[in-house]
Amino acid sequence: MTKKSFPFLATGGELNNLEQPGYFSGYSTMAQRKNWEKATRDVITDRLEKVPPIKFFSESEAALMAAVIDRVLPQDDRTEERTIPILPILDERLYKNSLNGFRYEDMPPDRDAYRLAIKAIDEMALGRFQSSFVDLTVHQQELILKSLHNGKPDPENALWCTMPVHRFWAMLMEDCVTAYYSHPWAWDEIGFGGPAYPRGYMRLENGLPEPWEKNEQRYEWNAPVDSVSELAEDDAPPEHESLHGHGGSH
Amino acid sequence: MTHRLGPMQTLPSPMRKFADHDVVDYCIVGVGSAGGVLVQRLARAGFRVVGLEAGPFWDTEKDWVSDEKGSHELYWNDLRITGGTHPLALGANNSGKGVGGGSVHWAAFAPRFHPSDFRVYTEDGVGADWPMSYWDLKPYYELLEREIPVAGPAWFPWGDPHGHPYGPHPLGGVGDVLVRGCTKLGIRSVAGGPVAILSGSHGDRPHCIYRGFCLQGCKVGAKASTLITHVPDAITHGAEVRAHSMASRISLREDGRVEGVLYLDREGKEHFQRARAVIVSGYAIETPRLLLNSACPGHRHGLANSSGTLGKYLMAQAGNVVAGRFEELIRLYKAPPAHALSEEFYETDPHRGFARGFAVQTVGPLPVAFAKQMTAAMGAWGWGMRRVMMDYNHWATLGVLGEILPWEDNRVELADERDQHGLPVAKVTFNLHDNDKKLIQFGENKVMEIMRAAGAKQVVQESRFAHLVGAVRMGSDPSNSVVDRFGRTHDIPNLFVCDGSILPTQGSANPGLTIQALAARTADYLIKQGDAVFFSNRRDLTEPGIRYDLSPSYTRFKGNPRIA
Repeated sequence: MTKKSFPFLATGGELNNLEQPGYFSGYSTMAQRKNWEKATRDVITDRLEKVPPIKFFSESEAALMAAVIDRVLPQDDRTEERTIPILPILDERLYKNSLNGFRYEDMPPDRDAYRLAIKAIDEMALGRFQSSFVDLTVHQQELILKSLHNGKPDPENALWCTMPVHRFWAMLMEDCVTAYYSHPWAWDEIGFGGPAYPRGYMRLENGLPEPWEKNEQRYEWNAPVDSVSELAEDDAPPEHESLHGHGGSH
Repeated sequence: MTHRLGPMQTLPSPMRKFADHDVVDYCIVGVGSAGGVLVQRLARAGFRVVGLEAGPFWDTEKDWVSDEKGSHELYWNDLRITGGTHPLALGANNSGKGVGGGSVHWAAFAPRFHPSDFRVYTEDGVGADWPMSYWDLKPYYELLEREIPVAGPAWFPWGDPHGHPYGPHPLGGVGDVLVRGCTKLGIRSVAGGPVAILSGSHGDRPHCIYRGFCLQGCKVGAKASTLITHVPDAITHGAEVRAHSMASRISLREDGRVEGVLYLDREGKEHFQRARAVIVSGYAIETPRLLLNSACPGHRHGLANSSGTLGKYLMAQAGNVVAGRFEELIRLYKAPPAHALSEEFYETDPHRGFARGFAVQTVGPLPVAFAKQMTAAMGAWGWGMRRVMMDYNHWATLGVLGEILPWEDNRVELADERDQHGLPVAKVTFNLHDNDKKLIQFGENKVMEIMRAAGAKQVVQESRFAHLVGAVRMGSDPSNSVVDRFGRTHDIPNLFVCDGSILPTQGSANPGLTIQALAARTADYLIKQGDAVFFSNRRDLTEPGIRYDLSPSYTRFKGNPRIA
């Protein structure tokens, strides 16, 4: 069971158990599926309906990774039924050993990297809070992950000498955002048009919605008060180099 | 069943199949941007041609989807090792796999190189000169702009000013930001191209529908890839394109000439394709890798490597992405990512304190790509990531496309590790040098300034790289280059290289159009040389003269428009 980090302080009360977070209330990409061609409709429908079973991680590894993912890409504001699966997508990639086309020379293979990190994170939890990572409070978990984000593991752990922490962090983030933002519920949350073939778009300028899209309805949205993962001004990571394989490339 | 290449186009059938014991005239390794044009030209000229492609032969209706994650298979995902002070991200960033190669997932910006790009050493004392001039390539630029064809402004003011055969595309939100910001600062910009995407229907290809999934393979068939522009014509004219064929080694005869190509099929079974000449078109990593993996007695350090420069002088362009958050909605996912640019900073300006320059271009990351950029640019994670992504529709993104010079220490070598075929994988080393760093810093600041001038309230940037060229450099001196001005290796008379890897420098223009133009020119050269390529060691270095009768159907226009 995932641990919740509450309360949310927002105008109009707590933001939790939402069917659809974000500013595009009532917008549904899946409602447009009849306008997509078959190949795309099949891929997206499968993503929604067929969540792969955990095959790569052991039970304890999976529990720890689930706790990590709950903090790295938290979904406490979503209802249980509308939680987007992330761990199963990561697990499937590692099980199939599906690569993204390269490995940094100072990094172990992706599978080893995750296993090393799991071990290191749990050792950090024991070292700093005398408890396994999964049993820490949400705040304690965030403190440990924040130190990885900052590239300065606290407490220091020898395992991070065998793998650059910033590269692992970038890979973890890449895996998490790939699973989350490729899901139609996330598209509804951010107001992305989703698949658009064969219909296409007709209103290209001025951020105008298509007839089937929704206009933005903003309201005050706040992360949980005790969260340390909210954006900060000076938060860009220390390494300024290409850390991932994609991009809205030229 | 019909093999679809878009809503209107189908693959010509049946495709000719050569038998294992057949000796073909040309075996082309890699059917991407260059390989696609080569097989088409050579087949039309009557040669017996086989193209070996490591990846699949896409059926665009079945295999491609309007979805970021679902498009993973378009990229070269096999293991490569990347290192150096500024390691390059590979895979989806710059490497395609499957018929059409990188042209399947390019954004399709199609600017020409400037005349100065061919004389960088002479003009700036850095980099290298090309063994040819812009004017040698110009007629091929014009021809390919008609064949692909390229949409864009009727007046493109930079480099050698020119127009484009198809009209410009309508402006999207991000293009509007670029034009607005540049205009505020007195910087010239163009919009609606140049981009190899149809703004009007063209033969059996429909026009663009502005869905924004250019990088995921254009199901519409509006964006040019050699899969749909040249390969069908090649097959109509008797070429065979053999998919799932991973070249493992080029073998030589006793007389030192190439005998053929060993390759592995889908099941890992080894085959040998005999050919009277071989052209390697595997792009900047797989081409040097294959030549290095083909080392043999007499070529201990790789085929055609007597100069010791094989694998060296690899280049990527600086591809920093600047993201700006606006109060108003942008919806950056609409319209082609590539649709407005400025080349105002392309040429060397001595006042800036570094050689060469950069372009400013629109980019259009879809949600997954944008979230990754926010990881790097803002350090976003946790609730911060959720929050910044909820504002996805408020952000616009512009790219720096900066010229990084060719340096000997930026290189492709073989790693100790092996891929799923048991072949040593490539190890790529990339370091930025002083001139590159100054150029990137200046370009990054300039694009951030443009973003602010356009009205962005918050501006962040991510350092990254785009495109890959070099590593099998073309030159007139066999002691410091691998191939001559037509792509023929200095060492082996019937072994050619034709792809982005032969570029001596890269300018600040996206390389796709230049690679295809070079391929058409090399094809004309080979056709003019005729059988001499197969038997003679004589090296004729005169321009072949352009052939206008070898273009695919539907592409014969009277000429390129030119205003003023």
